[in-house]
Amino acid sequence: MIVRDIMKDQLIVSHKDMTICDALDLMKKHRIRHLPIVNDSNEIIGIVSDRDLRDASPSIFDDQHKQFINLPVSKVMIDDVITAMPRDFVEEAANIMVEQQISCLPVEEDDILVGIITETDLLNTLVKLTGADLPTSRLEIEVSNESGQLSDVSNIIKEHKINIQSVLVYPSFHDPSRKILVFRIQSIDLRPLLKTLKQRNYQIIWPTELEMKT
Amino acid sequence: MRNEAAYIFSPEQLQYKFHNDHPFNQHRLSITNDLLTKVGALSPDSIIPARKASVEELLLIHDEDYVQAVIGATEGQIRSSYKTTYGIGTEDTPVFPFMHDAAAWLVGGTLEAVDQVFENDYKHALNLGGGLHHGFKGKASGFCIYNDSSIAIAYIRKKYDARVLYVDTDAHHGDGVQWAFYNDPDVCTLSFHESGRFLFPGTGHVNERGHGEGYGYSFNIPFEAFTEDESWLEAYKTAMREVVDYFKPDVIITQNGADAHYYDPLTHLCGSMQLFHEIPKMAHELAHEYCHGKWIAVGGGGYDIWRVVPRAWALLWLEMSDQTAVTQQNIPESWLDQWKEESPVQLPNIWTDPKGMYPQIPRQKEIEKKNERTLIKSLKPIYDQKNTIIKKI
Repeated sequence: MIVRDIMKDQLIVSHKDMTICDALDLMKKHRIRHLPIVNDSNEIIGIVSDRDLRDASPSIFDDQHKQFINLPVSKVMIDDVITAMPRDFVEEAANIMVEQQISCLPVEEDDILVGIITETDLLNTLVKLTGADLPTSRLEIEVSNESGQLSDVSNIIKEHKINIQSVLVYPSFHDPSRKILVFRIQSIDLRPLLKTLKQRNYQIIWPTELEMKT
Repeated sequence: MRNEAAYIFSPEQLQYKFHNDHPFNQHRLSITNDLLTKVGALSPDSIIPARKASVEELLLIHDEDYVQAVIGATEGQIRSSYKTTYGIGTEDTPVFPFMHDAAAWLVGGTLEAVDQVFENDYKHALNLGGGLHHGFKGKASGFCIYNDSSIAIAYIRKKYDARVLYVDTDAHHGDGVQWAFYNDPDVCTLSFHESGRFLFPGTGHVNERGHGEGYGYSFNIPFEAFTEDESWLEAYKTAMREVVDYFKPDVIITQNGADAHYYDPLTHLCGSMQLFHEIPKMAHELAHEYCHGKWIAVGGGGYDIWRVVPRAWALLWLEMSDQTAVTQQNIPESWLDQWKEESPVQLPNIWTDPKGMYPQIPRQKEIEKKNERTLIKSLKPIYDQKNTIIKKI
């Protein structure tokens, strides 16, 4: 999955001469928190967040400095913008955002601004990756950390003619010798599948009724 | 006094049957009808027959190629690609003889209920054969082929131009209906369900609020697994009142899946029969208060067809037809005798469940707290709007 697949390409941008006041209105209208600043050739020359703009706005209790709100955004924009490229891997982009502690990455191609990704896009991607946006049930199993486990469980799901929408595999947080498999599968009734899994001694974390019996 | 409520049923609705071991079993309609007859709350000659929805009516919601595929499957033309393209021929929704016809009869029941309320001055109408809320416009899902509620809502919009509030209390999220009207500001959907983190279909988050012009007209209250009556009902009563008052519908359609009960084998909620006393009571009250009584109710999920569904759905009709007094009596011996041989479990003889039906839930407090937060989050736009109005005054 690459940045181009998840980026927004309908962009709200501003020129460097827009006033802080207008920029704030624009962001409010479109419910966005980051505004890229571009020049006439659509090259990115800066970025502001709603927080940058509010920091630069006079306090509502301060009648003396009202004129500040009419300064151009170029006065407060960040001009060494960190950007991504359309063919970057999504995980790479996420890594940059974490490392640099930023919540948005403009996307550039041949110096032209072509898109933007934000924390929200990454979260939506996570929801999609975990398959929770389509009609599916969650199945979570703990297995030993050795080869073939995922394949064995998938085979059992296949035996039950159920389509797998997504799979997540990660090491157990409690026990490094164990792995957690989380499936989203296209069936409303998991009982026949659970019966088979139980017969083959799989440790099912969800669905379970155990919680009530402890 | 003329009866204010219409009961819709036809034997053709019983043909919606995948196979003998399938959990979705319309035998529950016969068992419920018999219970209502034996308590004296339903006379067979007062039952209004359903009808079979026309293809044209199905197309109010569904895609033509999908309807053609269902008709084709009925006639034995099934391709392996149907599984992924149309969701038919899967373990959830296998092909069965006359599946198109049976599904169209369920839809027709709900359409008949609509017409009885809008044209024949019944105030309320009930089609227990309906409530197949997972059906998508081009795909079967979760036991549902055609989405009768979506079709009925589109039918109401087109024929009667009324604004519709759809309330879904099935343990599963009412996804098909929500997505069908996600962009529509004249249809508001409100679904109470076990959270998608635990249960099919996985959607129904608080932040699914609608899109475009329809933004703000989709509400979701996802409950934690093992939620009990009190917490469930508090959220239900608060949200119902707030959403009805905010949207001011012309008609309320309720989907009454009976699978939020502890006994239900497919879900993980801990409701008791008390839910099914309270759910229709509030819908009934609000329909009179805001919609001149216009209330259409349908069935839905419900997979304990012996101990839960017949009582829950009988209670719905008793509330709708103002006959709840019969629940002071025990369930008639004649009904127990009729079904005890066939039922694999002991049939209940009263209208409530015993205390201690399930063990104490260790995380109870945490679950209640989480549900309270979910409720507040879900209703936030309504509360915000009220606060703005108060500030302006």
